[in-house]
Amino acid sequence: MLFNSFSFGLFLPITLFLYWAVGFKRIKAQNAILLLASYFFYGLWDWRFLLLIVASSLVDYFAALAIKSTESNGKQKLFLYSSVLWNLGVLFLFKYYNFFIDEFAVLFNMQQGEYAFSTLNLILPVGLSFYTFQTMSYSIDVYKKRIEPTRNLLNFLCFVSFFPQLVAGPIEKASDLLPQFSKKRSFKTEEVKEGLRQILWGLFKKMVIADNAAYIVNMIYASPEDYGSLSLLYASLLFFIQIYGDFSGYSDIAIGSAKLFGFKLSKNFNIPYLAKSVTEFWQRWHITLTRWFTDYVYFPIIQKNLRSNIRRNIAIFLTMALIGLWHGADWTFIIFGGFQGFLIILERTPLSKERKSSLFHKSAIPKILLPFFSFSFITISSILFRSQNLSEVKIILQRIFSFIPSENLASIINKRFIFFLFIMIALEVITRIKDFPLTQIDKYVNRPTRWIIYYIFIFLIFRYAGPKEDFIYFQF
Amino acid sequence: MPGPKRTLSIFSFSKTQKRFLKYCLGFFIPVIIAYFILELLVLNIPINYKVFGTYLDTHFQEIEVMALGSSQMKCGFNPALSDENAINFASTSQHHNEDFHILKGTIDRLPKLKYVLLEVSYNHLELPHHPNDYWKNTIYLKYYNVNAFERPTWFKDRLVYLSNPRFYSHKLMDYYFYKTDHSQLNEYGFDINNYEGAFKKLNYDETKIASHKFKIIDREDTAIFKKNTAYLFEMLDYLQAKKLKVIVATPPLYKTYLKERNPNVVQRRDIVLSVIKKKYNNVILLKEETDTLQFTAKDFLNENHLNPDGAKKFTALVNQKLDSLN
Repeated sequence: MLFNSFSFGLFLPITLFLYWAVGFKRIKAQNAILLLASYFFYGLWDWRFLLLIVASSLVDYFAALAIKSTESNGKQKLFLYSSVLWNLGVLFLFKYYNFFIDEFAVLFNMQQGEYAFSTLNLILPVGLSFYTFQTMSYSIDVYKKRIEPTRNLLNFLCFVSFFPQLVAGPIEKASDLLPQFSKKRSFKTEEVKEGLRQILWGLFKKMVIADNAAYIVNMIYASPEDYGSLSLLYASLLFFIQIYGDFSGYSDIAIGSAKLFGFKLSKNFNIPYLAKSVTEFWQRWHITLTRWFTDYVYFPIIQKNLRSNIRRNIAIFLTMALIGLWHGADWTFIIFGGFQGFLIILERTPLSKERKSSLFHKSAIPKILLPFFSFSFITISSILFRSQNLSEVKIILQRIFSFIPSENLASIINKRFIFFLFIMIALEVITRIKDFPLTQIDKYVNRPTRWIIYYIFIFLIFRYAGPKEDFIYFQF
Repeated sequence: MPGPKRTLSIFSFSKTQKRFLKYCLGFFIPVIIAYFILELLVLNIPINYKVFGTYLDTHFQEIEVMALGSSQMKCGFNPALSDENAINFASTSQHHNEDFHILKGTIDRLPKLKYVLLEVSYNHLELPHHPNDYWKNTIYLKYYNVNAFERPTWFKDRLVYLSNPRFYSHKLMDYYFYKTDHSQLNEYGFDINNYEGAFKKLNYDETKIASHKFKIIDREDTAIFKKNTAYLFEMLDYLQAKKLKVIVATPPLYKTYLKERNPNVVQRRDIVLSVIKKKYNNVILLKEETDTLQFTAKDFLNENHLNPDGAKKFTALVNQKLDSLN
């Protein structure tokens, strides 16, 4: 069930109605409804996925309790490793196994049938990378004594499967989300209205911005050899806009939906196109993933050597390459991540011993141009993200840097789309200190004006939505 | 003193919640009403699918020929000129998987069906099939009562405007506001006024047409080719089992388009056609793709679609093939 589908438009109000009606003063009933709704929501993709999510939840639930139950550090480690092994094993099997087998065969120049292991015909369960990371961090946090394990299985199952953020995040820390399932939730009209407004804004970004951008991007990337340099650059720029509209739109719908049920999810985007450096970009883009990798990969690597520049740079490179790999089992993603890591290292490296300035920060570039500078690096690297394989990347880069004339550029620039894009950017930039542009609108305009604004957005979504596309991050 | 109000119902709403519910209803009811007005307006537009559906309902006992395919077949075969009673289900971008669904979904309703006209045009075998949530599935369900979703359907699957708001918004504007819809559908749903294409704008001038730019897909995809070919054979096996005679047609293309075709795609497609000819004794081929003698610029709407004059010639060729099958 997609957030931009008619089915979700029915599912959400029905769940919401039951949740607030049944659960009035009854936390258990509310959580039970949330769990059933979440499993229903997830099971609609494929009911077999449910077996995996339940198994993952149970492994981490019992692993955390086992860690708590013993004083022996050896045993605690054993339980932690079991949990991590299970989570990474599942992830490896479903997401990376075929990739590694194929690469192994290529490395040793082997044909199919010549090696003992064959590739598997497995469907990648939707959102596997998201909930696996969420449950794994729970076990790690319990081991590190950052949180106490919960004994309430219902709450834990809800924490893993909470449908607004189940399939594409935000990736929540147990310390942030889990306690919310134990607290009494009261219906606050303002909070619910905020949620609805955020859903509306998310739908606009997804359906009007991302899906329209996708239409052009898909067309150009289907046959890049038919397009010139500027057209390909334009497509790469649009892909960045597509993925931003798609994923930040998804996150807005997720956060908004959670608000309807009285939950607070973490902010996942903070206008990344305003970032003045690649480092800042990653602090503004998919914030919860960057935070996860910083906490569970980067910090453990540099833990004892904070002053060692080499170790820190290796940690950055490794973390970013792993972030790339997290997105998908392909060299394009690994190189994408590695390239980001390389850029971040470059930004942190002083130009000379005397001047403690880095390559980007205190260069000759005026501050106002810095976002354009970092944005151009991100746009170029998004080619790696979008391309099917490295040979496609090569074709596109070759064509871009061969300065081939783009005769068909005018025909692919849609003025109406550019106008909507301008509206989105303008609203986001003007309201940048807020969570999203429509937030707390009731403080500024009266009800009839508000309703007109909402109706305009609903009209734009209906009338100008692009061809329906799946959410990009669902595949991860 | 009266005690607290007791209720056996598991539901209980606070005053705030009730007030909010009313607020939501007040907001969303106009949206729902507006949607249903749009839906009614769309249903009122005389589109070809609707005419096909009506023709199917009223003439199901007489139909002997069923044409399937994409826009090339849609523009090329006029059932009104067919010697046998025919229906043309071909429509823009319709691929073999939709063709097969329509065939399987209507075959039992057509007691006299004897012939099926199938299109295998230039890159048909190297274009991916549409997914099973393709927006046109709503049309097939609504007008032909054919379920192409490959799952049980529900009321949302019959909402036409919602299936493709962008497309139908254009249709609504063209039909009600700009009045730019010049189509003139005959009782079979064939547009007999379908001349407003690139070639008419160029006054059918061959020199201008020669320098006219058009879009052609020349990308090869052998994986899709294998999949689509297997699907086509499955379709032909089904038709053979149903004892139906089949004409596999390659509709005419204009010479500038012919020049731009990818030779590898053409070669693979032609090999498939020759295999079909050898394998199936119920199938004959109508290869008109390269017929530049009979089909001149004046027969074309644009580089790869016939206009009604071209359709007249192509339908006559279909008639000849049908004669040879009798």
